[in-house]
Amino acid sequence: MSEALLSVRGLSKSFGGVAAVQNVDMDLIGGVVTALVGPNGAGKTTLFNLVTGNIAPDTGEVHLEGRPITSTKPHDVARLGVARSFQDLRLFGKMTVHENVMVATEPATWLWQPGGPEAKRERLARVDEALERTGLAGLARARAVDLSYAETKFLSMARVIATGARIWLLDEPSSGLDPNSRKRFVRLIRDAIAAGVTICLIEHNLDIVTELADRIAFLDQGKKLAEGEPQAILRDPTLIAIYFGERRE
Amino acid sequence: MIAYIVNLATLVAIFGIAAASMNLLIGYAGIFSLAHGAFFGIGAFAAAQLALNLTPDLLLAFLAAASLSIALSLCLALPALRVRGEYFIAASLGLQMFAVTVFHEAPSLTGGHGGLAGIPQATLLGIEVGTPWRFLAVAAVTLVLSLLLIQILMRGSFGRALMAMRDAESAAMAFGKNIPLLKTLAVAAGCGLVGIAGALYAFHISFVIGDSFTLEQSVLLQAMVIIGGAGTLAGPLVGTLLILLLPAALTFMPMIPPTEIGTVQQFLYGAAMTLLMIFRPGGIAGQSVGRR
Ligand SMILES: Nc1ncnc2c1ncn2[C@@H]1O[C@H](COP(=O)(O)OP(=O)(O)OP(=O)(O)O)[C@@H](O)[C@H]1O
Ligand SMILES: [Mg+2]
Repeated sequence: MSEALLSVRGLSKSFGGVAAVQNVDMDLIGGVVTALVGPNGAGKTTLFNLVTGNIAPDTGEVHLEGRPITSTKPHDVARLGVARSFQDLRLFGKMTVHENVMVATEPATWLWQPGGPEAKRERLARVDEALERTGLAGLARARAVDLSYAETKFLSMARVIATGARIWLLDEPSSGLDPNSRKRFVRLIRDAIAAGVTICLIEHNLDIVTELADRIAFLDQGKKLAEGEPQAILRDPTLIAIYFGERRE
Repeated sequence: MIAYIVNLATLVAIFGIAAASMNLLIGYAGIFSLAHGAFFGIGAFAAAQLALNLTPDLLLAFLAAASLSIALSLCLALPALRVRGEYFIAASLGLQMFAVTVFHEAPSLTGGHGGLAGIPQATLLGIEVGTPWRFLAVAAVTLVLSLLLIQILMRGSFGRALMAMRDAESAAMAFGKNIPLLKTLAVAAGCGLVGIAGALYAFHISFVIGDSFTLEQSVLLQAMVIIGGAGTLAGPLVGTLLILLLPAALTFMPMIPPTEIGTVQQFLYGAAMTLLMIFRPGGIAGQSVGRR
């Protein structure tokens, strides 16, 4: 398992009586796209929160390239090259599109960023590229609260892109997108994969999962029920029953 | 008449600095402190004690006032790190009331209920700045420098980090922002700057007393920021002008009997604030509601 970029072992977290994540193992292998699939409340978002340090696990460990990062603070996890998006986006509403993305390129908290004007030019170039790739260049000066739904989803992606992180954890990035935007989204992910980014995405749309994922980890009620190639998982009648059974409620 | 206007202009400059520092907290960092009046007072008392006991040098007074305010700002940073929203507001209210009690009950530090009187005229690099015109010039320059510094910081990555924290704290964290550090810095900057405003106030009035730095002062500073436009450079100054000039304008209105001015003032403030928040929630200098 030494090839795993990010590995999770025996991770558990309960909220009161709810076992949100139970004894989950998972590996993100460099260049491999992993889809986290499972019904509502399966613990997918909680698993992301545990990996990024937003929540401390009850038990279990997280390693990044062999180094332990369990319970490391979210800002430190970010600086180690793990970027994430949020299911509810959490854009910086009153800031402009450009500022939203700019923040993602400025990890230092101090009064200024290291590296001087040269580093600043490089950061600005990264912002421009992220805006270009997400089709938001024309909206750079608009405030985030004024964007349309699809635009907000792409702004959330632009922030992740601009970090330059090697690992992306995306929480339902394509939910609610129209078919056209969804196609653009798939292209965006393909470009990132080609650029060497390792991606784990939570995704309810099984078409997108088949299209993008190399592996699927199937979660239900906090437990990882299965992991493997998409065809194998998506043909398993028990898993499909759980998935659609609970989704229809 | 001229003396009156110079005095008013000096107060506008001093409160402009105080409101700008309040804006740093409310407008940019999203920290709704009700203890800003107390830190204004801490700066004023520090400058007064320095002037009475050691030297009336203005730069040293700024240094003393800012240092003490920044050191004590940790008392405000602590609750800001632990709780949010209404819980923090309550904590800052407690701190404000605690401070006023200390202002009143520690005569050796603050002169107690009698305050500290007879603060000598300030000097700047050995030059007397006691005359009203000179003092106005100094206050105005301090205001301009403060606004310039705020503008530079808020246009840069620090300002973006504060606004990101204000708009979505967990997302700011996810992009590398150390929130406890950021909040501590914001609170220190805001309190340090209002301490400087307090120092100017002490020299200007030449008499400091705890009654000037109560919850009412905190609320007034908040009102200046919110009416003018939180999170904008010009907003706090616009709010300060409005709030300080309104009573002045009313005193010149012949049809209001002098005994009623206070009541009319309160009434107009209340009505203006309510109407403004309904029709222009971003404040006078703020952005109007977006296209949504
Ligand atoms: N902070 C929290 N406090 C209490 N319970 C929580 C918390 N976060 C998650 N839970 C609970 O943990 C369980 C897993 O939630 P989680 O959000 O991880 O599910 P999910 O797989 O992301 O679901 P969805 O598809 O709806 O986003 C749910 O029962 C949820 O109510
Ligand atoms: Mg979720």
